[in-house]
Amino acid sequence: MSRKRPTREARKQKKDRRALRTRKPARRRGRDAASLTLSAVMFFCASACLLLALKSLLNEGRVDWGALALMVALPLVCWLCVRVVARPLRADPMLVLLMTFLVSLGIVLLYGLDPERGLRQSVIYLLGIAMFAGCALSIRLIHDWHALSWLMIPAGLVLLLLPVAIGEEQGGAKNWISMPVIGSFQPSELVKLALLLTLAEFFSSPRGFRGMLPGLAFSAACLGVLMLQKDLGTALMYYLVTLLLFWAASSNLPLTLLGALGGVGAAVVGYRMFAHVRTRVAIWLNPWSDALGKGYQLVQALMAISSGGLFGLGLGMGQSRVIPAYSTDFIFAVLCEQFGILFGLCVVALYVILVMRGISIALRARTPFQALLALGVSLMIGLQTFVIIGGVVKLIPLTGITMPFVSYGGTSLVSCMGMVGLLCGVSAQNEKDRAEDERLTQGAEEGEA
Amino acid sequence: MKRLRNNIRLLALGLACLFVGLVAYFSYSVYFYGGRWFASATNPRLADQKQHVIMGDLVDRTGLVLATTDADGQRSYPQYSDLRRAVSHVVGDSGGVVANGAETFMASYLLGFESGAFERLRLLFTGEQARGDTVRLTIDAKLCEYASSLLSRHEGGAIVVMNYRTGELLCSTSYPDFDPRSLSSVLQNSEDNGALINRVTQGFYPPGSTFKILTLASALENISGVMSRTYNCTGALTVDRTTVTEASSQVHGVLSVQEAFAESCNTAFASLALELGYGRLAQTASSFGFGDNFLFRDLIVYNSQYPTDNQSLDDLAWSGVGQGRVLATPLHMAMVAAAVANDGVMMEPRLMLSATTAQGQSRTLQPTRTYRRACSAEIASALRGAMVACVQSGTGRQAQISGYTVGGKTGSAESSDDKEIKTHAWFVGFVESDEHPLAIAVVIEHGGSGGSIATPIAQRVLSRAIEQGY
Repeated sequence: MSRKRPTREARKQKKDRRALRTRKPARRRGRDAASLTLSAVMFFCASACLLLALKSLLNEGRVDWGALALMVALPLVCWLCVRVVARPLRADPMLVLLMTFLVSLGIVLLYGLDPERGLRQSVIYLLGIAMFAGCALSIRLIHDWHALSWLMIPAGLVLLLLPVAIGEEQGGAKNWISMPVIGSFQPSELVKLALLLTLAEFFSSPRGFRGMLPGLAFSAACLGVLMLQKDLGTALMYYLVTLLLFWAASSNLPLTLLGALGGVGAAVVGYRMFAHVRTRVAIWLNPWSDALGKGYQLVQALMAISSGGLFGLGLGMGQSRVIPAYSTDFIFAVLCEQFGILFGLCVVALYVILVMRGISIALRARTPFQALLALGVSLMIGLQTFVIIGGVVKLIPLTGITMPFVSYGGTSLVSCMGMVGLLCGVSAQNEKDRAEDERLTQGAEEGEA
Repeated sequence: MKRLRNNIRLLALGLACLFVGLVAYFSYSVYFYGGRWFASATNPRLADQKQHVIMGDLVDRTGLVLATTDADGQRSYPQYSDLRRAVSHVVGDSGGVVANGAETFMASYLLGFESGAFERLRLLFTGEQARGDTVRLTIDAKLCEYASSLLSRHEGGAIVVMNYRTGELLCSTSYPDFDPRSLSSVLQNSEDNGALINRVTQGFYPPGSTFKILTLASALENISGVMSRTYNCTGALTVDRTTVTEASSQVHGVLSVQEAFAESCNTAFASLALELGYGRLAQTASSFGFGDNFLFRDLIVYNSQYPTDNQSLDDLAWSGVGQGRVLATPLHMAMVAAAVANDGVMMEPRLMLSATTAQGQSRTLQPTRTYRRACSAEIASALRGAMVACVQSGTGRQAQISGYTVGGKTGSAESSDDKEIKTHAWFVGFVESDEHPLAIAVVIEHGGSGGSIATPIAQRVLSRAIEQGY
């Protein structure tokens, strides 16, 4: 009747055997899926560029050398990014693949709209990969972020202040500077990285609220400068991320609500003070009342989206160029016109996967600094995506920010890739810690045996 | 650290909710508004597509061509001027000058945007020029022409006839009209400005006594035994600061609610409205579609209004007889009559019967569907009785058609406080018949009394429609 219960020894042996049987193949399966996805991304890039080249050959009878060059170079760069750069860094393959796909999608779209911008963006892609690697490495190599934060604060503020002094105005906001070598760039995008790092550092301070103050002060100063530049979209991003990070780190609900109240107050004051904010809200409520005037952008974007139908008109087809700011703010409308609404929804889903991956990295992080950093990056990318796509589809008033990875804009691309680099740095650290733990427990068990 | 992780989980949940909301809103708005966005006259893609595609024909339900593309690629309209003008608003113009005509609103079919990848491939190989679909409208152009000839003796107005079982519009005409062949001269002539407005879907009129259908519906729903009541009409009812009076200073004396409806007694219905109150009356109005954002697939109809923001008793009493700030389009009032005739079920109005590709295949269209339930079948049947009585022995006597049961309600809607200005003459009604399920709304701008001006016109249009077998 009574079955003999397996001894503890036997159970452990069984577990080990199972581990031996399953664990390795599982890891290999993951790697197979990753390399399959990489091939798919490379295939997507190559065939898209081939289509673009064919289109200009058929329509204009000219050989589009740019597209042909891109057809070779773009898959190569993607491969380089995943295999040569990301793998030795032990970066999270899913994050890297999502990033490369979104960036390539942006480049392909931009090339179809304006070849020059597409080529420029693909050069910046290389720069972005360098930034990605740099950020991922920095997490591994730098251990004293405290001193560095104190360095980053003044540097960030000076960078942010530069456009006020020598900047150019674009689209109602003065947030660009021109440099002799690099061309024009947007410091507020780069300062995002500094902000996320410093906030993570100060908010993980063991001294409680007093320790957090420098981070809050830095953020407030940034907000002030951004308001001065009338760059309200970026200011909104800084504000939301700071507020949410503060709540996550401190769990201090009263102060967070106070901050939220302050934000609402500032929004009301902004609505009263800035005419272009009022116009934005009026357009959001009814763009059709002035379809050829103030509502033109949004109306054209909505038409573009509906023209694409479910499956789109095809890459490089359609008339997305009638939308003002088609390559930056409204790239999502272009994407929907050319690839279709279903694809647009899929891209939204990809962003959600990317953000949720970031969140899961934050959850697995060992130190509060790393957790907050990963959370900050996820929030920044997630909120930015939501705010810009929501604006384009008329869910919320339009705010002039870029769609991460896809929009044209060098600084934005570099900073977004840098952010993913930070995430990958944290995830590599997690993996390393986990492996170490495993080794230790194994060692302990063996010692026990 | 544990607390931090919990907070992170909460934030992730929040982010996920944001994105779910985004996807839901995006799908919703593309599904319901996508066609409208696309068919906007300012969409440059339509103009561009015309360079490559021969625009398809627009025909009426009998196959009569209402708009076609000739050999030069120019858009041409029917030869007979009266016919051309009678359907001018429904057809619209290919330049999109007339808001929401079929020529722009159905451009996705007419310009071949609905063709699939397979058709595009075939064209690529055969090399022939693409041709848009032929779109068949539900209207009968001859009937429109006849209705228009009755309208043209007046200052302006609109007539719409629909099948209340399917929602198909059989006749829709608006006056003053214009000639699509000489649109540019219409635009230059500022006196003709009102001519471009399709009064059937875009004309806001006070519904006047035709609104009593809704007041009665609300009373039937909320006041038990209302039909057995009697009212003593003294010709005037003082409310708060205003006095509700009868049309042409009549005094009706003692009458039942049914008689009050048939004789269109204002004081009886104003006191019913006061008894019901804003809440109930507004609820009935909204269940009949007042205040709705009409999202019909084939038509753009302006939203009717039953304002409730100003809660004064004067406004309430006047709203019970369709005056004050109540506004409705003729099509919407036809839908109200149609809902009564169709046991309380309001059908979505349709304008597109079919679409056929250049190769003769017909496209699958979404089927007829119910727009909303306006009232219960019992209330609808009681309303039908009251409306039939109105035509048999009340103000709508001139709508009688021998051999058929006609129900209806007249209205003489004041458009201004100045008594010198004539009222808008209204008639809304239906033919109670399974072979001829017709509902109608007629408005004659400043025509005078609904019973003597609008009702005979409705009678003639309905008789003609029955003759033609609808």
